[in-house]
This record gives sequence, C-alpha cells and structure tokens, in this order.
Amino acid sequence: MIAAIQALLDGLMIGGVYAVISIGLTLVFGVMGIVNFAQAEFLMLGMFTAYYAWAWLGLDPLIAAPLAFAVVFVLGAAVHHLMIRRVLKAPEVAQVFLTVGLLIVLENAALLMFGSGFKSVATSYQTSALHLGPLFISVPYLAAFLMSVACGAVLWLFLERSWFGRAMRATAQNPMAAKLMGIDSDRMHRTAFALGVGLTAFGGAVILPYLTVSPTVGDQFVVLMFTVVVLGGLGSVAGAVVGGLAVGIIQSISGLLFPIQMQNLVLFVVFIFVLAIRPEGLLGRAR
Amino acid sequence: MTTQRKAGLGRRSTLKLGVAGALAAPFLSQRAHAAGSVNVGVILPLSGANAQFGINARNGIQLAADQINAAGGIKSLGGAKINLIVADSTSTPTTAVNVAQRLLTQNDVVAILGAFVSTLTIAISEVTERRGIPLLTMSFADQITGRGFENIFQVVAKASVIGKAQFDDTLAIAAASGQKLERIAIMYEDTAYGTSQAGGLRTGAKNAGVQVVMDEAYPLGITDITPLINKLRSSGAQAVFPVSYLNDSLLIIRAMRQQGITIPAIGGAAGYVIPDFAKGLGEYAEGVLSINLSNYDLAPNLTKAFSDRFGYFMVHEALEHAVCMSVLAQAIENAKSTEPDKLRAALHAGKFTNGWCAAMTGGAVQFDSTGLNTLSVPVMVQWRNNELVTVWPADVAKAKPVWKS
Amino acid sequence: MKPALKYALIALALAVAVAVPFGLEPRGYATRILCLVLLFAAMAQAWNIVGGLANQMSLGHAAFFGIGAYGSTILLVKYGISPWLGLLPGMAAGGVAAWLISLPTMRLRGHYFALATLAFGEVMRLVANTWGGLTGGPSGISVPFSKPGLAVFQFKDMRPYYFLMLAALLVVTAIFAGIRHSKLGYRLRAIRENPSAAEAIGVDTTRTKIIAAVVSGALMAGLGTFYAQFQFFFDPDTVFSIPAISVRVAMIAIVGGVGTTIGPIVGALFLIPIEELANQTFSDQAAGLSQLVFGLLLIVVILAEPRGLLEIGRRLWRWRGRT
Repeated sequence: MIAAIQALLDGLMIGGVYAVISIGLTLVFGVMGIVNFAQAEFLMLGMFTAYYAWAWLGLDPLIAAPLAFAVVFVLGAAVHHLMIRRVLKAPEVAQVFLTVGLLIVLENAALLMFGSGFKSVATSYQTSALHLGPLFISVPYLAAFLMSVACGAVLWLFLERSWFGRAMRATAQNPMAAKLMGIDSDRMHRTAFALGVGLTAFGGAVILPYLTVSPTVGDQFVVLMFTVVVLGGLGSVAGAVVGGLAVGIIQSISGLLFPIQMQNLVLFVVFIFVLAIRPEGLLGRAR
Repeated sequence: MTTQRKAGLGRRSTLKLGVAGALAAPFLSQRAHAAGSVNVGVILPLSGANAQFGINARNGIQLAADQINAAGGIKSLGGAKINLIVADSTSTPTTAVNVAQRLLTQNDVVAILGAFVSTLTIAISEVTERRGIPLLTMSFADQITGRGFENIFQVVAKASVIGKAQFDDTLAIAAASGQKLERIAIMYEDTAYGTSQAGGLRTGAKNAGVQVVMDEAYPLGITDITPLINKLRSSGAQAVFPVSYLNDSLLIIRAMRQQGITIPAIGGAAGYVIPDFAKGLGEYAEGVLSINLSNYDLAPNLTKAFSDRFGYFMVHEALEHAVCMSVLAQAIENAKSTEPDKLRAALHAGKFTNGWCAAMTGGAVQFDSTGLNTLSVPVMVQWRNNELVTVWPADVAKAKPVWKS
Repeated sequence: MKPALKYALIALALAVAVAVPFGLEPRGYATRILCLVLLFAAMAQAWNIVGGLANQMSLGHAAFFGIGAYGSTILLVKYGISPWLGLLPGMAAGGVAAWLISLPTMRLRGHYFALATLAFGEVMRLVANTWGGLTGGPSGISVPFSKPGLAVFQFKDMRPYYFLMLAALLVVTAIFAGIRHSKLGYRLRAIRENPSAAEAIGVDTTRTKIIAAVVSGALMAGLGTFYAQFQFFFDPDTVFSIPAISVRVAMIAIVGGVGTTIGPIVGALFLIPIEELANQTFSDQAAGLSQLVFGLLLIVVILAEPRGLLEIGRRLWRWRGRT
C-alpha cells in the first residue's frame, strides 16, 4: 500500500513536468496545425541554456528557467520566420519532414557547439528528500513540479485573460474569422510557436537538477511528449496537463506491476488503445 | 568509365552517362595516397548518443599514431608513416558497414580500428571477415570473439568475464574488510552491454552462493529513475551493481543519496569511469568503486602524454584504442608487410610488449585463436579526489580499497 | 508525355541500371551504396502504397521491416530454413501485423495515424528487445556464415545483391503501379480526394485502406529479409529504428514525390548518396558536421518545393520549354 502511494506521488510530480514540456507541442498544433517533431530539441536547448547559466553565471537552473524561456523564445520566433511559416499551407507530410530536418540540424549543431559530453549541474538540494512518515518526496522533483505548476498558471492567465491570449485562441478556433476581426495571423503564429518552444525550454531548465544534458537528450523525450499530447487531445492545453499526469502515473504504477524494462511498452500500448477508442484524446474535442 | 567506351550508345546517352560518371566520381577509388604511408581505417561513432566515447577513442588513436610517426614510422617498411582515415559510423550499423566498405575499397586501408559500440563492431566484422582484413577493437560483447572469426582482435576481456570480475572482486574486497556479502542487487540498461555484463554478474553470484534480491533491466534513456530506486530500497540488498552509461549512473547515485541508501554501489565501467562522473556528482563520487577494463594509473608515464594534450585523464576507451593502434603497428613491423594474410598471421603469432601494450594488465597483448587478448584482466578502480585509483587485484593495485558497508 | 517516349525512357533507365554495376568494382563501396539505394527505394515504394495511395502517413513501417528481418533470420538460425523460404512466413507475419494495427488505427486521420503508427513501431522494438529468448534481445542476431550461393541467399560480392535488390525494386514498383491503376487504386484515390463522397458512392473506406496496408506491410517485411541477408547482423534498435527506417522511408518518398511511381526512386537516388557524401566529406572533421549538412539539405529541399524533387524537375522542364 505504501509502495502504491509512493508510486502515485512520484508519478504525479514527474507528470507535472511532462505536462509543461508538452504544452508547447500542443499549443503549436492547436494554433497552427503543425506537429513539431523538433520540439524535444528545444527542451535540449533549454537545458543547455540553464547549464551554461549555472556554469558561467552561477545561477541555479530554477532561477535560470525564465532565461532559458527567453533565449529559446527568440530562437523560436526566428525559426518560425525562416521556416515554419513557409510550409503552413504545404501538405502535412512536408510539414512533418521539415521539422524532422530541423531536429537533425539542431541536434548536430548542439553537438558542434557544446560537445558530446553529458553535462550536469550540482545544486545543494539535489540529493535531499522530504520524509512524510514512510514516504519520500525528492526535493528536485518537487521543485520541478512546483515550477511547472507556476508556469502553467501563468500560461493559463495569459491565454484566458490577456487580449493577446484570446486573439491566439481565436486564431486557433477560426483563422478566417480572426483575420476578419483584424488579428494579424502571422504574428499570432510566430508568437504561438515561440511561446510553445519557450515553454518546453522552461521545462528543460527545471528538470536539469535531476537529469543530465547532452545533444541527444531530446531522443529520450520525443515519443513521450507525443504520447502526452495525444492522450490529452492534440491542441488542447488542458488536455496536455491531464495527459502529462496520466503518463507520469502510468509509468510509475507500471513499475510496480511489471518489470521496469516494460515501462514504455505499457505506456505505448495504453496510448494505442486510447487512440483506438477515443482518438480525440481524453479531453480533446472531436475534430 | 568503362561504360562510356561501350559501342552503340547515342551521343545523348553517352552524355548522360558522362554526367552520371561525374556525379559518381567521389564514390570511385582514390588510390593515389602518399607514397611510403600505411592507411589505417578508424571507424567510431562521432555523432549521436555515443559521440563522446567515439571522440575519446579517436584522441587515443591519434596520440598513438603521432607517437609512432614521430619515432620514425614503421621501420621494416622503410619508415612508412601511419595515415589515419577517420570515419563516422554514426549510431547505425548500416552506416558503420557503409563506411567500412568505403575505407576498404577507396582508401586501401590495411586494417580497421573501432568501433566502441559492440553492435557496430559486430556489423563491421561481417565485412572485414569476408574481406580478410584485420579488425582491432575494444568492444567486448561475448559474440565478438564467439563466432569463430579469424580477422577480429579484441584487446580487452569479454563482457561475461568483466561482469563476473565486477562481482568476484567486490566479494573479495568486502571480505578483506570483514564483511560477508549475502544479498546483492543488479540493475542494468537493456542494451547489449548491459545484458551481457549482467549475465556475468549473475554467474559470479551463483557460483559464490550469494542471493540476488533484485535483478532489474531498465530502458536506455530512462527519464525517471525513482521506481528503480524504490525497488532497491525495499530489496534489502547489501551492495548494488549498476551497469549503465553516465546519464543513468548520475541519476542512480543521486536518487540513492536522496533516499538515504548508503550501501556501496559498484559500477560496471562505462558511465562510472569517466571524468564527468566525478564532475557531476562532486563529493558523492568519492569512494565509488567500479570495474574497469584498464586504468591510466597503471602506466602513468604513457598516459600523461594524453592528459597533457587533451586536458583530461586518459579514459579507458582512449587507452585501449591507443593499444589497438600500437599492436597493429608492431604487427606490421613484424610482418614487414601490409599483406592481409601476413598481417593476420603476425597478429595471431606475436606477444606484443612495446609501446602502449605495457599499459595493459599483464604488461602485454597476446591473442588466442579466437582473437581474444588472453592476458587482459579487468581491474577494480575507486574514485579518490577526482582520480581513478586501481585497488584490485592486489598484484597491480596502487592503493588499498576502502569498503564502507 | 507520349506513351512511346515514356516506354523508351523506362527501357533506357533499365538498361542503365543493369549496366552500371559492370562499370564498378564488384566487391566495392559504390556497389554497396547502390544496393542500399535500390533497397530503400523499394522500401519507400512499399510505404507509398499506404502513404501515397491511401494518404495515411505511417511512421511505423519499421515494425513490418523488422518482423520480416527477424522472421526469416530466426527460422534460419533455429531451424536452418533457407531465407528464400523464410521470406514467405515473414511476409505473412508482416501482413498480419499490418492488419492488426490497421483495425484500430485506420480510421484515424493525419497526425493521429502518424503518431499511432510511430508508437506501434516502438512497441515492436521493445518486444524484440525484451523477448531475448526468441530474438537474441539487445545483443542482436547474426546470419550464420555459410558458403556463398544463390540457394542460401549469401554472396561474397556485392553484384548479385545489386541485381536482387533491383529485382525487388521492380517487383514492388510493379505492384504499386498495378494497384494504382486497379479498382483498388481508384477507390483509394476517391477516398483521398473526398472521403465522404467516396463513402456515399459505396466505397468501404476503412476496408479499402486496410487492404492497402496489408499489402504494404507484407512487402516491407519481405524487404526486411533482403536487408538481413545483406547486412548479416542486426539488433532491435537497427531494424525497428524510428530515424533509420520508419522516418527515412517516408522521407525518401516525400522528398522524391509522394504518391507517384518514380518519386521513391528519385528520392532514394538523391538522399542515400547525399548522406554518404556528407559522411565521407565531413566526418573526419568536426563531429556532427556531416549530419548537420544532411539536415540542412533536407530543409532546403522541402522549403524549395514541399511536393518534392519530382515537382522541382517538372517545373524546370516547363521553364525550359518556355525559353
């Protein structure tokens, strides 16, 4: 019983982080209809930004997370301007493979710039845990979880309350009508893409205290992120939160019932099953 | 282009073939290499997830080759210089075989060194074996020397032997400090390296009558290590044997500290014996034991050249690849030829003691009929002040092991 | 294009394809690269049946490829069955797997289908990795060394492989072209143009697409056997790879021209040599440079013409006609 509660707790915390890194992916799809296969590379760039902020400036990754967001936000706007906006009307396959090309470029550019080593930060709270009776709460997990919750709350306020956020949602729901209302759709797309990759980078920074970063770290997350957003419903921000928590908990609980080697197997089988019976995702609206 | 000379083709198709020829030109042989040099192929993963190890290995080979050339090259071939042809295998066996084929066809390499990752090495060996060209490696999956191939030469021990040594040495070290190990945990990444070395650990435990209370594989690139550590905590093991690369090794040690698990962790080389391990863990690295295939402190006079040039201590894959290079040069020297048959015979016949071979355990390299270096014995190393110190077996140890139960 | 000219061009291309290996060193590198060009062209062509005709972007075709590779190799290693015979159960297994995964996923559209198949490929990789008793697990599986010959599907030189790969490509291309011009092809096209209209005139859309998927999966599995006998050693990460198989075959078809008969061939002729050239030119320089150049080229092609190289060629042709 204790083991089950512990697993649930661990799954919840890691799931919160999965949610934040995946929100960007679902946001980009929701607003512009593009599935960005290179999304996880922006996670890697966020981790590297936080790493260098720690190595050169002595900043804790949790404090450097907004910096990682800002750096990748600017980069994302540039990527959108140079590439993504040119394929918005192209066939789906061309969009997918443009982002696959971007994935290859970013991963190898990082290899050239940052070297191939695994880099990690050393922080004071890295190896500490809170004890709640028989339960353990890892402090770096908790910190990442809380940062993710804060980030999600700010995003929610932005999308719900600000004019810009509402305009962005309007563009997602009905691009034509939004245009008629005088909303500059190119600007919306650029902002959505930049915001999307920036959020993922933010998530990368907050998980750095308990992970390591290398140019190929994105490979570990790419399929996972897709699972999260599809479970929640592609394009749904609230869905990504539900999907993230679901993936975290499935991973954690399956570790109790099956060999840990089967962790991802269980996850993908659940994923295909959910798609088969409810393709719009757990929360998504039918498309 | 022979096709161009065929009669009966119209002007236009000849033109087409000419264009095709021009496009194909880079794929045709470039035999015009410098006179008086010996081309040696180096195939390593220089991009992708294993790039770091590939680059370390390349540095080791480069150093050894430069030293050989500076000392006058291959004397029995009139001072011929070693000319390295380096190629990126990426992480894909298909590409590894492509580049092997390329080096053999276009660069006339006399031998190939590489490719760190066992599956890449096995894939390349399928080509070198059919072409009769020697392949020297420090990959150590059991299949490499287990298929009866004649052209493969492995300078280190086999994975199952390394895994068994990881267990046996630990048992001996613990016994020397007065602890009798009864329950152990094994956790390993589900790759060729992890599974075969875990097999050796299991054999060791079985032979010694020690109970394996946890035996868990986990997916490579695991993003959340907690379930594994939760299992470890409730297993009641007295020591844990993790077999993993750097990323996972940092996660495992940190998560153990978080949960207050203080049992010794005895690493399975790879992620536990590189400078980044100590850099990433700081004080928590101190005292961690790991098995290793060789260690730089066994020949400080040789390995200092590496740290001087590249700025970090000579990691084992760099050292062993330098040994591959050195063995090859000595074999060419003995064979007085680069003919594949003579070279193979020289590699099988000799006991190589010069150059970098002195850095190996046993002080030399000698291959049996399967191509395995029979003299290589794994060593146990321990982190002390950001350096790796050899602590076992006693006859080569530089210091006494410290065991904290 | 006039039919006569078309047939003449096809005949010329075939003649060149047959002649080329005689101009090259039989054991050499260039022949091997051409073998890979042919193999990947055939794989992309098999993908094209689902991706092009049925318009379902599969990112999990490595699943069928791996099933074929493992199927024939396991039969060979455990029971000594010739790969030529092992080819058939492998293809059957590939077809069945395609049928099974299509049942729940074929009604999914666009990105959902792509992601579901991506996950299916991963499931197969994980199964092969975990089920070590059958597959050899992560350590991989080797085709046993035997005396070369056609009967055992092993050759010392590259040239026989070249002709086998060429034959495979021709067979797959013929099947593709056959389907395209058959009733099935017309139904698939109707579904692609307007699914609801197709259903209104009585086309069972899901069933039609599943038939296409089964044919595609079986062919892909057959090519997996060819790969196994060509490469001699593979592991789950290789044959069930997302980047090296699933994404690459789709990429080849797309860069060439998706849904067309010669698109996959053009794509393979372009991408495979380019990747090799990049590796050859840059890999002894900085690590990662060759892959970087390859990725940049891919982006440039797609930005220049999202419908692929064939479309670029067509545009150049028209432009030439004007001047």
